[in-house]
Amino acid sequence: MKNLIQFLIKHAFIFVFLLLEVISILLIVANNSFQRTAFISASNGFTSGILEASSNVTDYIGLKEKNLQLANENALLRSKLKESFLQGPDSFVTKIDTSLRQFYIYTQAFVITNSVQRRNNYLILNKGRRHGIEPEMGVIASNGVVGIVNEVSEEFCSVISVLHKKSAIDAKISSNGYTGTISWPGGLYTLGNLDNIPSHAELKVGDTLLTSGNSAIFPPNIPIGIIQKFELKKGSSFFSVRFRFLLDFNRLDHVYIIKNMKQEELLKLMGGFEND
Amino acid sequence: MTKLYLKNTLRFFTLIAVQLLVFNNLGLFGYINPMVYPLFILLLPFEISGIVVLFLGFTLGLTLDLFTGSVGLHAAATTFLAFMRPVSLRIIASPREFEAGIEPGINDLGYRWFISNTLFLILMHHFFYFTLEAFNFSEVGSILLRTVLTSLVSVTLIVLLNLLFKPSLKRK
Repeated sequence: MKNLIQFLIKHAFIFVFLLLEVISILLIVANNSFQRTAFISASNGFTSGILEASSNVTDYIGLKEKNLQLANENALLRSKLKESFLQGPDSFVTKIDTSLRQFYIYTQAFVITNSVQRRNNYLILNKGRRHGIEPEMGVIASNGVVGIVNEVSEEFCSVISVLHKKSAIDAKISSNGYTGTISWPGGLYTLGNLDNIPSHAELKVGDTLLTSGNSAIFPPNIPIGIIQKFELKKGSSFFSVRFRFLLDFNRLDHVYIIKNMKQEELLKLMGGFEND
Repeated sequence: MTKLYLKNTLRFFTLIAVQLLVFNNLGLFGYINPMVYPLFILLLPFEISGIVVLFLGFTLGLTLDLFTGSVGLHAAATTFLAFMRPVSLRIIASPREFEAGIEPGINDLGYRWFISNTLFLILMHHFFYFTLEAFNFSEVGSILLRTVLTSLVSVTLIVLLNLLFKPSLKRK
């Protein structure tokens, strides 16, 4: 026993080092599997307070440009209102269409923290449980998909960015409708990969990728990116496609969180086939 | 002695603030996120025991982790940096004896020593950090590339920051 204690004291430097590394790695692993710690620490009052204050200042700097962007988007949405359309000559009978029911609803949020340089990037938004946000809701910006809500606290929520090892979002190619999964291999935040496009599909550079609407998270036809190059590796029956994101992830500040009114019902059905 | 504590405490918080509010938003080419906060560990006086340096490194990394949401990542890398510090002090020849009272900065030990010491330790720190971040050895090419590019930027900025702190040190 005495020898053991002497040994420990003699090599205390190495043991303390190993102990601290083990603690750090346990923290990383716990954080990887639940993403809980990251969220709790990043969104608790003090740290978020400071980050929000810093974001307030930087928001102010880009205000003019953002106003313009929002105004453009408002104009676009206005042009889609029913009032913006002339009624055709054949619509003698007006009827109230009861077949349309709200499927997706949107709420606006501000980005408090965001990153693009890490292998696994997260965002924190200023909407939380109090505003009706729940995990697994989609997040988009005016010109592309941003990510999926991961954890929710009273006032904030954390979002797994598309720029994350675990991110996998269903996408389709606008010109031919083939669907695949997008992922991010790390590196440049402007480029992503599209997998699972079968080798018989006809692809061309410049085609747009849209959300497929196959998941219960994103509505269909939200733009994601533009195909930049593709190749068919020998022996593979799927294309490897590289595309450019339409969204500049480094300049996010206004985003929309999407609630799918029927998500629970859909997920229950989807869970049904996974159990088979 | 109190002055030493005060100076280092102040440096701890200044470097964290600068890292969070300036350098984390820099994102050069969307790829390089320079890390300058290890300067705190680099500049700790020699007379502090290695174990204390380890704990300080862990605390520094964990504090930054709390703000960036990457729990454990900076803590692990900075602890490793603190572990490697005595190794680096042994292998990189110093122009002067490491006696109590000198600070391992440009001021007391000169450019050549400071830059080689910083480069060695920052390469270790960044390599450890990017490896843990990717958690995957198939990405080894990308890890090495990021380590080298980011280290070059970080070391340059650390040298500049050290020069910036220099006048206040002379008055001592």
